[in-house]
Amino acid sequence: MKEETKGEVKLWDAVPGYDFNEEIDVPEMCSYFHDGVHSVPRLTPMYSWFYGRANPVGSQYASETLGIPTCKGWSQKIKDGSTYVAMHIIQDKEEVERRTAKFKEALVPWVEDFDGLWEGYKKELMGLYDHLKSLDLEKATNIDLLHHLWDMISTYRRMWEIHFLGMYTSMSALALIEEQVAHFGLTSESPEFQNMFRGFDNKVFQVDKQMSEFAKAAVKSGLSDLFNNNKAEDVLYKLEESDAGRKWKKDFYEFLQEEGWRMVRMMDFNEPYWLEEPSAAISVIQTFVGKGADFDLGAVRLELIEGREKAITELLQKVPEGEREWFRALINLGGKAGSYSEEHDLYCELYSHALIRRGLLGIGRRLVQAGTIDKPDDTLFLNPDEIEQVMLAPEFHKLQYIANRRRADWERLRFKETPPVFTERADMNEAVGKDLLPSGDVIIIKLVVGEMPKVKPELKADIYGVCGAPGVAEGTARVIFTYDQLHEVLPGEILVCPGTNPAWTPIFGVVKGVVADRGGTLSHTAIVGREYQVPTIVNCFEGTEKIKTGMKLRVDATQGAIYILD
Amino acid sequence: MHSVIYWFEELGKEHNDIVGKKCANLGEMVRMGLAVPPGFAIPIDMYRQFIKETGAEDEMSSYIKKFGETKGGGIQVFEEMSENLRSAIEKKEILPSAREYITSYYAELCNKTGTENVAVSVRSAGTESRPGMFESYLNVRGAEEVLEKIKKVWASAFTPRAIAFRVNKGLAILGDELGVAVQKMLNARASGIAFTVNPVDGDVSKITIEANWGLGESVVSGEVSVDTFQVDKSILEIASKHTGNKRRGVFYTETGVDWADIPTKKRSIPCILDEEAVEIARVAKSVEEKLESPQDMEWAIDQDIDFPRNIFWLQTRRAKVAAKKVESTSNHIAYLLAKKFRGF
Repeated sequence: MKEETKGEVKLWDAVPGYDFNEEIDVPEMCSYFHDGVHSVPRLTPMYSWFYGRANPVGSQYASETLGIPTCKGWSQKIKDGSTYVAMHIIQDKEEVERRTAKFKEALVPWVEDFDGLWEGYKKELMGLYDHLKSLDLEKATNIDLLHHLWDMISTYRRMWEIHFLGMYTSMSALALIEEQVAHFGLTSESPEFQNMFRGFDNKVFQVDKQMSEFAKAAVKSGLSDLFNNNKAEDVLYKLEESDAGRKWKKDFYEFLQEEGWRMVRMMDFNEPYWLEEPSAAISVIQTFVGKGADFDLGAVRLELIEGREKAITELLQKVPEGEREWFRALINLGGKAGSYSEEHDLYCELYSHALIRRGLLGIGRRLVQAGTIDKPDDTLFLNPDEIEQVMLAPEFHKLQYIANRRRADWERLRFKETPPVFTERADMNEAVGKDLLPSGDVIIIKLVVGEMPKVKPELKADIYGVCGAPGVAEGTARVIFTYDQLHEVLPGEILVCPGTNPAWTPIFGVVKGVVADRGGTLSHTAIVGREYQVPTIVNCFEGTEKIKTGMKLRVDATQGAIYILD
Repeated sequence: MHSVIYWFEELGKEHNDIVGKKCANLGEMVRMGLAVPPGFAIPIDMYRQFIKETGAEDEMSSYIKKFGETKGGGIQVFEEMSENLRSAIEKKEILPSAREYITSYYAELCNKTGTENVAVSVRSAGTESRPGMFESYLNVRGAEEVLEKIKKVWASAFTPRAIAFRVNKGLAILGDELGVAVQKMLNARASGIAFTVNPVDGDVSKITIEANWGLGESVVSGEVSVDTFQVDKSILEIASKHTGNKRRGVFYTETGVDWADIPTKKRSIPCILDEEAVEIARVAKSVEEKLESPQDMEWAIDQDIDFPRNIFWLQTRRAKVAAKKVESTSNHIAYLLAKKFRGF
């Protein structure tokens, strides 16, 4: 196979059928909004293929299953590795009525037993993942690998279906609580509100706790200096130099077999997972070691739980007696919802992406042996249709041409800006008002696209965003685009980034403030900012463009205002 | 010497024994900031003075003594007694000083409302709540009529039902002494009641509103099909709405009020707007919160005034139904979540 160079039509687009075509797609849906939370930096072609298809269908599946009253999920298109969403807003009032009745009924089991349902879906996911893990990629036949590709695709589709069932129920519960507590003078930014949803036990906390235990064990075994004075990659070699080190490393690797299916970048296949590159996990251990052996994550948790009980008791006292019972149930549901919003990333995106990366690299190694591509991760620049075509007789085909061209395009465009919206409307605000808000879709409104910043001329700020976590901070800017740059961040700096994901969470313990280009008040950046009580601004759109590393910044997160001081 | 007449705004629950419960409540309602049609309260003492100085009291006492044992008596006994006692009151003239005093308050009310011979309701106000036992007179116009009806209200303490009630409870036959509320009547387009707890199933999450064209008596009577609204208490949105086939209602006549057929085309259209229902619910909720108990309230919509100032409150009292929850907590949350999706 060779690249078609003469005609205007490429032999293969990266994501056939899902490539954004402004002339056709915009008139159909009026507005396509950039998903800056999940597609900055731009996605690899293979990830675009997986995500571009399975994610919107997952949202539609959950909308239909639950009967979301106002919206049938979204449509998604890919523009050179950036994703754009358009909402399926239901116009027919009678249909909205019918769906409202259905939604009400479908929600009851979630309200009554959110954990139980989520446990069941977790089991289902783990079954699918175990099946993927069970294939020995090196011993597998080409047929096995082709079937593995199909298994990965169907696993991925199911993952998004489950993901959105949980997301729609949990996010709407959080939004409802936000609205209800407003009657008692609380806002979602107030500490009294935040405290009500902290300290729940979940997988994220359990893994963090295990990591902190490993850090304590390292300190006890006299390995503190080794961790403190070496780069993460070197720690692994140095550990081989002593019995204590070897013992620690062996235990840690065993732990990674269980918990190492965790990508360092959430939304793509292009960066490693812990089990593949344990040094990524080592840097987290280093953070804990740096805090010393006395640092007790369990104690921190207990404090959070105490604070939570206190906050809930105080709020309930303000609620009229007749309404207390359901209000208490609602707060309880909110706790589960908050916990889900942390935990599902581990079981859904981070885990499945790690397994698919593993499979794609396994397929890649086989294709390299056959001479079809040059590097195993060239598969990230193909799509499954292309792999399917060559998998059973790879030695007859060449795919380097496609992979290399796409890789070059991707590298060139990776950090380039892309418009926040393609629309027929007059501007972003009108597009949001007409083609987004009426969807009632809490995920897209409060997480993906987010609330629009309000420019307040009287503040004379340089950039305006939305308050993710309140407070004011001053410090030096550090502009970071990817996880592998995170080690550059110095304590007390202000992190300026496109957005964050769960792998970035530890950095919130290091920085004074956070400025994110995109994200709503329920995005990861905002939620973690509040958890860590770090002043955080989201959806400022042009932070990484206007701010350079080294600039002095004043971040008034409460007002959503950013000042460049020099 | 005569007793003091009070404007409603001068009253509060501490005046319960002086002017009767209804009047004291109207005062409380004004204090709470509710829109209450203006009016004044005739104190119970004025009745006492009346029966004493006109000799009605002696007449009634000796009649009762003569009558002998009444307990366990049949309905004829109470009817006969009623006739005698009522006429003992009704055939007397109101004392000149009271007459002058009441007339001047009525004149002042006409003055306040800018209406000559303003139409008023004349209602009983005992110190104990005896719903439906005494009589009320609606659409009363002119001082003479008002005086006449005040006397009739006093006399209504001796309806056969009221006498039977007291006798069977072991209370004195002369035991119910009534104050009187004289209140401007609204030109009501529609009226009705609002319950902050569902009177049937005890659901406290919604406010139930029942409404009919004209005056509220048709709704209170429970005899006709009316419009029913359920308004969610926490988000103040209409949860359900049923338009009744409103065949009959109570309307003004020349000299009072009476039942009348409602024109066919108005029967099946809601008599209040959604926004009015929500406003009624909003006020009812706030009253329930202030009084910290479920309420049973009467309201009316004045057709001469624009929304939202057109909604007036005539009564509020503690609802009889024990507040219990029938809708499950999870159903309620699911319902709120469904609403939330539509609320962006």
